Amino acid sequence: MRAYSAAQETGRKQLVTSPTAQPREQQADPRGPSSHPVRGINHMAFPTFDPAGTIGFYRDVLGLPLVQTMQVKAWGPEYQRDFVHFFFDIGNADRLAFFYYFGQEPYRDENLPPLLDLGQHVALHVDTLADLDGFAQRIQDAGLKIDMRVMHETVESIYVRDPNNILIEIARPLRDLTAADAVDAEVTAQALLDVLASDGEPTLDALWARKAELIAARIPA
Amino acid sequence: MTTLYFLDAAEFTDVSAVAAAQPGARVQRLQGYVAVTSDGPLVIDRRVTGVRHSVWYSALAAVGHGHVVQYDKDALKVEPD
Repeated sequence: MRAYSAAQETGRKQLVTSPTAQPREQQADPRGPSSHPVRGINHMAFPTFDPAGTIGFYRDVLGLPLVQTMQVKAWGPEYQRDFVHFFFDIGNADRLAFFYYFGQEPYRDENLPPLLDLGQHVALHVDTLADLDGFAQRIQDAGLKIDMRVMHETVESIYVRDPNNILIEIARPLRDLTAADAVDAEVTAQALLDVLASDGEPTLDALWARKAELIAARIPA
Repeated sequence: MTTLYFLDAAEFTDVSAVAAAQPGARVQRLQGYVAVTSDGPLVIDRRVTGVRHSVWYSALAAVGHGHVVQYDKDALKVEPD
């Protein structure tokens, strides 16, 4: 059988190297570049109980520079504590941020079911196979374990746990998304909503069947 | 008459091609999908497709007038309702 299509040399976004307020190119959107005003993630934030490990992992292992920190005296609600808020550049002017709260007892949900644990993760985007291999090498050189390397449908990914046990995925595109992907997303979402709203049990079989009806309805007679 | 729909994307081409090669199967490209229709059961041998597992298990987009009786590492089999 034919080999899978070659890796894309260009990614979904035009990346910038510093988190400035430079205008950014909109992600390729088959429905048009102006369908919404969002330009990626300003920041995602997580608590950390291991700031040394976190800084070591993101800044020193992955090479993502610290670009902003705040040291903040507790104010507001009674449960608030003095804290340090720090931000790593993850490209495209997006940032990954952490809170370290002084005096807060560490907490980890040990009862999180595996499916839900794997379901919540952060996926960083790189453009090329060389970029992905470079991160894999950095992680291994640091003595850390790559949990998985997977060729998904449209991305190839490596997975590693950060010191906070957050699952970090690093992904490179295998192809660009197309108008057909966007249409299928809408059809699938509608089928899911219809199945959930029906009296029957929501199952993948029910979704396949409803999707077929929706696709058939889209075809001109 | 059962219709299997596959997204018309590069990674699923080898799956829809094996489905379309079944005796009696008819294939159409419809608005972003490849539709493979048959009056009888449709069986796709995963190893013949050559696709990796991540692609195999997400290849089936929709099933019209049929039901999946097998979808595992070996094959996808759909029978008419």
